[in-house]
Order: sequence, then C-alpha cells, then structure tokens
Amino acid sequence: MVQPLKKHSLLAYVVLVPFAFVMLLPLLLLVSTAFKTLPELMSIDFHWLPEALSFDNFRKAMSVAPFGWYYLNTIIVVVMVLAVQIVTISLAAYAFGRLKFPGRDILFVLFLVQLLVPPQSVVVPNYHTISTLKLLDTKIAIGVVYFASAYGTFLMRQAFKAIPKEMEDSVKMDGGGGLTTIIHVLLPLAKPSLIAFAMVSLSFHWNEFFWPLIVTDTRKARLLTVGLALLSQATESNPEWSLTMAATIIVVLPLLLAFIVFQRRFIQSFMHSGLKG
Amino acid sequence: MGLLSNRQRSNLIKSYLYILPAFLFLLIFTYYPIFYAIFISFFRWSTDYPQKVFAGVQNYVEILKGDLFWKVAWNTLLYSVSTIFISMALGLFLAVQINKKVRASGVFKVALFYPMMIPLAAAALIWLWIYIPTYGLLDHLLSGLGLPTLPWLNSTETALWCIVAVGVWKHVGYYMILFLAGLYNVPSELLDAATVEGAGGFHRFWRITFPLLSSYTFFVFIINIVDSLQSIDLVYIMTQGRPADATNLMVYYIYQQAFRYWNMGVGSTLTSMLTIFLLICVAVIFSTIGRRIYYEV
Repeated sequence: MVQPLKKHSLLAYVVLVPFAFVMLLPLLLLVSTAFKTLPELMSIDFHWLPEALSFDNFRKAMSVAPFGWYYLNTIIVVVMVLAVQIVTISLAAYAFGRLKFPGRDILFVLFLVQLLVPPQSVVVPNYHTISTLKLLDTKIAIGVVYFASAYGTFLMRQAFKAIPKEMEDSVKMDGGGGLTTIIHVLLPLAKPSLIAFAMVSLSFHWNEFFWPLIVTDTRKARLLTVGLALLSQATESNPEWSLTMAATIIVVLPLLLAFIVFQRRFIQSFMHSGLKG
Repeated sequence: MGLLSNRQRSNLIKSYLYILPAFLFLLIFTYYPIFYAIFISFFRWSTDYPQKVFAGVQNYVEILKGDLFWKVAWNTLLYSVSTIFISMALGLFLAVQINKKVRASGVFKVALFYPMMIPLAAAALIWLWIYIPTYGLLDHLLSGLGLPTLPWLNSTETALWCIVAVGVWKHVGYYMILFLAGLYNVPSELLDAATVEGAGGFHRFWRITFPLLSSYTFFVFIINIVDSLQSIDLVYIMTQGRPADATNLMVYYIYQQAFRYWNMGVGSTLTSMLTIFLLICVAVIFSTIGRRIYYEV
C-alpha cells in the first residue's frame, strides 16, 4: 500500500533529509578517517573515500591499548549495576506504589533528591568515601554509587501502581508475601517499564566517563571510555587522528550496532522512559 | 508504638525493609556527600594545608571574590540553557515533521537518534577532529568553498558555541523521540475538531498540541538542566577549559580544584554551592510554576 505523497509531508522531507544528512556527517567522517593513512590526513585535498581499505589503524589501536581488558571491565560494571538496580528499585517501588505506611510520601521525595544530585556532582566527597572504604581502582567503586536509582524507582512505582489490586489476590490466597508478589505478579506485568529502564541504564553506564576516570588508575578497572580518552591524550603532541578514530570505532561499535539492529526496541524504550519519567 | 497492634507493627517494619536497600545506598552516596561537602567547605584542606584547618566561611568569601568563579558560572549557565533550549526547540520541530506520517520514518529516527548511543567522551574526540585547524572537516569544507577558515575552538568568542553545537548534536534526537511520544498521545479527535472549526496547522499546534505537551516538557526541561549543569566530558576532552577559561564549566572547575590542584577545601565549597543552588532552584520552581502546569493538564 503506497500512499501518494501529501503536500504537507513534502515539506517534512525538505526539512528532514538535509538535517539527517548533517547529523550523519560526523559518523561518516569517523569511519572514513579510521581507514586513512597519516599522509592522506595531512593532505590539503580532502576525500571522503580512503585510498585503500586497510585495517592497520585498528590493529595498531588494539596493540597500544588493552581494549580487551576495557571491554571486559565495562561489561562487568554495566551488568553488575543493572542487576543490583533491578533488585533495589523493585523492592522500593513495591513499598512506594503498593503499600501504605507512615512517612511514605516524605521518603519518596527524599528518593527524588538523587535526580538533582546525581553522582557526578558529588564526585569530591564520594571520592573520599570510596578511598576510605579502600575501594579505589575497583569495578565496585564505579558501580556502587549507582546501586540505588531514584529514576528507576520512580519508573517502576508508576508501573506497579497501574496494575489492578486483584492481580495480587491469588498470591495472597496461597499465603505468599511481598517478594512472591513482586517476582510472580508485578515484575512480569511491568515488563515494558523494566525493559525501558534496563535499556536506559545499560546505555548510560556504557557511555559513562567522568566518575570512572576519577576512581580508576589501572587497566584492572578502567572502562572503554576512559581508555579511549587516555589513548588520545597519549598522542596529543602529534595527534594520530586515524589511530584515535579507529579506537573510537572499537569503543562505539557494539552499542551502535545493537541500536541499529534493535532500533525499534531502543527508541520505544526511550519513549516509554521519558513518558513515565 | 503502644497504639499499634503487633500485626500492624510488623507490617510497618516490613514496609521499611523493602525501602532499606535503596535507601542505604542513597544515604552513603547521595545524602552523606552533600553534608560532608558542606562540612569540609568550612576548612582549609589542600597541599598547603595537609591537615584540615577550620576557616569559617573564608573559602566561600575567596571564591565569590574571584573573577574566575563568576566567569565559570556564566559559562555554565550559557552552555546549559542554550544547549537545552536549542535541542528542545529543534527536537520538537523535527518530531512534528516526522509525525506527518513521512515514509521511511525509521531511517530518520535512526539518523537523528544515533548520537545518543555514542559516549560523550567519544563524541568529543570526533568533534575535536572536526574542529582541528586546516585538516579538520570544517576548515576543509570552508577552504573548499573558497572561504576563510575559522578559529573554532581556539577563539574565546567561538569556543563555547562549538561545545554547545556538540551538545545539540548529541541530544536533539533524544528530545525528538520524547516529543514524538508526547505527540502520539495528543487525541486526534481534538485536532480534527479544530480543523472542522477552521483552525490552520500553526494554530492547531500552538493552541492544542503545545499546551498538552507542556506539563511533560517542563519536567523534561528541569531534569535536563540539572543534568547538563554537570556535564564535563566535552570540556575535559576537547578544551580543558581553554582558551582563557572561555569553556571552563562548573564541574570541570570543581575537578580542577579538587583533583588537579588537590584543594579539597575549595573543591568541597564549590560542590556544596552547586548542590544547594540546584536544590533551592528546583524547590522554588516546583512550588510555583511546577504545580500550576501539573494541575492544568
């Protein structure tokens, strides 16, 4: 079913096509640069297509920086944070959304304070806490400040509140408590919100930079983003842009590919998370 | 507790137990740091003073007297407000275009949204390369057109705007998606009724769609202002605050004081100023406009 173009949507294309093209330019430049040689970069003539398709820059990037370690660390941190968050936010959201008890609303507002004071704004005091706890240069240090999520609690509370009370009755009749209710009734029914939260959390922590930079010193806990920044600074005096861009591709490729393959899911999740948040 | 039966008491304790895990982490990494930063702000604590020395409000006085603080505060405000305002306005405009049932809308969504999936640190490197003098993409394009090249990140007049441009590129797709979600929720009967009454496209948008989006826009706006006030990745990688502190933003300034000069007293003072400022602003906004917008819709 191909519909004829309407006049008002023609105007939309006139706006969208050039804009989308400009948005894509940095990505095109990234790919094009990563395959170029140094003399090609330093030439006055600019070509989008590299002269030869060579993976030398990628090989070199892999050999100057331990990207394997960075990948492993990043995956561990991201999964750890999400796993703990799902436990803490589900429990808290159950209490806030389904139970009545004195002080509930004040406590909920206290939770929301975290939206205004995200961990990167209290890096100085948190650095001291982490150092006192002897956690500097560990993967736990990167993740632990995010183990509670006000945003996640808020999102799940909204989702839990929307589920009719009667759904809990069968669990109650079987004598099950709150945990059974959360695991067998609420979480399955709140799946869209849970997935939305998971996607937002995963992409946020995959992309994180500043806090991991402050609390890590060695490859044992360093994340991809930090490793990438260090690689680029190591060559700052004589920047090897083709090497840096190859390393950038190594870092951004997995999430970008996942996004392109599951774009509908990703976009729906972000829509959902914003709508509820 | 004498008024409560055993059963009620155990229910109460259970309710608190559900909240406890999250609350403990918030206590250690959100509430405690706020108070710790305020506490340390009353001490000199730096490489010159390895042992904390009580200094009253001296840290605050010195910071407020210095020119750099005001410059950084102004830069931060300029960066946050313009990045968010431009990306929201563009995002809304693009969402309205995509909502006109264009073909291949998936392609447009991907092209506009993909920067959200790139770490800000990586985006900073790509754009640094775009802005590089002579060999960067922008100077290549300009000289290709026979135009004079521009100083981009090297001039105090343009540097901050170059960073704003990266912020807009990174976030515009995110806003576009949020507004698209909002637009899907505008009841089409309302718009049809307005068309029957003879309202034009612009009128329909301004009188129906925009007010319906506004409650939601407002909260998105607040959260993102707060978020962008904390942004540091771009500055750290692209300019380190240069030239002449023209791109020095608050969180980077805090980082410089605390982790470059190891002046924890001043670092903590700046941290507590930023935190208190945000808490007060948001409290004021929510108790005035926030409530009104929320109830109107």
